[in-house]
Amino acid sequence: MHRLLVAFFLMLGGFDAWAEDSFWDGLQVHGFASQAVIKTSDNRFFGDSPDTSFAFTEIGINASLPVSPQILLAGQLLSRRAGDLYDGAPALDYGLADLTFASSVEQRWGVRLGRIKNPLGLYNETRDVPFTHPGIFLPQVVYFDKIRNQLLSTDGLMLYGEWRGDQGAISFTAGGGQSVVDENAKWTYLPLSYRFEGEFKQKDPAALFSLWYATPNERFKFGLSGMALELQLHPGPGSPLNAGTVELFYGIASLQYNAEDWTLSAEYVYEPIEWRNILFPYTKATVESYYLQGTYRLRPELEALLRYEAYANPDDRDGTKTSAITGGLIPPFNTFSKIWTTGLRWDINQQWMMRAEYQRHHGTFILSARENPDFSELQEDWNLFAIQAAFRF
Amino acid sequence: MDRRLNSVPTVNFAPARTGRFLRRLLMGWVLACGPFTLAAQELIVNEAAPQQSMSRNEARLCFTMRLPTWENRIPVKVFVLPDDHPVHRQFTKSILGLFPYQLRQVWDRQIFSGTGQAPITVATEQEMIERVATTPGGIGYVGSGANHPQVRVLEVR
Repeated sequence: MHRLLVAFFLMLGGFDAWAEDSFWDGLQVHGFASQAVIKTSDNRFFGDSPDTSFAFTEIGINASLPVSPQILLAGQLLSRRAGDLYDGAPALDYGLADLTFASSVEQRWGVRLGRIKNPLGLYNETRDVPFTHPGIFLPQVVYFDKIRNQLLSTDGLMLYGEWRGDQGAISFTAGGGQSVVDENAKWTYLPLSYRFEGEFKQKDPAALFSLWYATPNERFKFGLSGMALELQLHPGPGSPLNAGTVELFYGIASLQYNAEDWTLSAEYVYEPIEWRNILFPYTKATVESYYLQGTYRLRPELEALLRYEAYANPDDRDGTKTSAITGGLIPPFNTFSKIWTTGLRWDINQQWMMRAEYQRHHGTFILSARENPDFSELQEDWNLFAIQAAFRF
Repeated sequence: MDRRLNSVPTVNFAPARTGRFLRRLLMGWVLACGPFTLAAQELIVNEAAPQQSMSRNEARLCFTMRLPTWENRIPVKVFVLPDDHPVHRQFTKSILGLFPYQLRQVWDRQIFSGTGQAPITVATEQEMIERVATTPGGIGYVGSGANHPQVRVLEVR
């Protein structure tokens, strides 16, 4: 009996040791924080930028735990303050279970369930983490911050797969669910009637896909990804607006080439939008935008950035039609944006990073009506200067 | 691959008061032998790992955290040196055929989107050897001379 007890306690001890070694051992906690200072010559961008804005702060903390080699649990809390667009209230950025069905050297496939960052383009999945993309601001004509949540994440499921060979790897994701849309959608799709009460909500489950090819050394990457989404307006009491819908497809083609000292990236967005039963200057539009971006590593810790991005409506490139339809209320230059960006990134050490950036803007498409409700005050040509400090662990 | 990186460190052996002649001799030796005394990076694994050699693609999958288990189902545990460590930079370039910034991008995308994890960073090569030796499924690398009974050097084909 005595022996049995000893054996029992030894076993308990052994179990404890196993729990510490194997279960919690894999827990990882990471996080980041950043603060930017923004000054523009005209037009409000992320706060009172004409008077210097400090209202761009990002704080995130995440944890991941492999419950077994096949199951990974992960979640991230994000607080993001961005001028009048986001007030910094903490929100669940992602929270998911990743189940690997099969994995070998040749292939891997599985499914992710929960709140999943949308795998769109080169940067959407980590769009709010300063260390993971060049520039303080993502190319706004492709990763619209004025309507960031439309593309941000999905509550649903995503299948993924990857096949690897000597010629490279092909990977895909496909899935859908509830898109995490917020109030900024209303300010973008109803720029003339945002004052009326009402809310945009997703009508049917959104559908998402991505397909990537990368060479074995990942020097070259090519990807196609997209998302189909239908939003319905739910007018508030007393609102003269109809319960109309906005239907859109966001498709993006991505190219990247990585050399030792430099990286070239280009992305092109094709986005047909259809407004039904809703007050907007037109009922159909196909928007096209692209950017070309080069980064050059002067030294491992010092990176220079040069980027050109452009957005226009192919049916109304100079914006005169839109302006005429609205009786001049919307100025022509609010229908396009052409932006030159140059910047410098300094990774002081593995934890700290500093950035400085200058942008020359022609057009005001990328601005939010929420921050600039009076169209008559918009300036067509404007400058932006920003610096940012960021920390990670 | 990059020989400039590999030929430098010998200069540190010069004692502070070495005469000019000795220093020249040393420099001559460095210049003559430098390119041939490449500190070959070695991929090391815990002795429990099943294989005797590894393809470059497989090594890449391990260090980009895309291979969860070994063939014998033991979880792969990856150890790395800090991003700016010379051995990390050399190993990444010459053995994996990747640039260090690419690895960092892959890890960051996984960490900050919840789709994967980062490798465990150790401070020194000595710590690397000890951690790989005591972790079943452990994999890492050293500049050279991993001499530990629980650690095996794998040839990368």
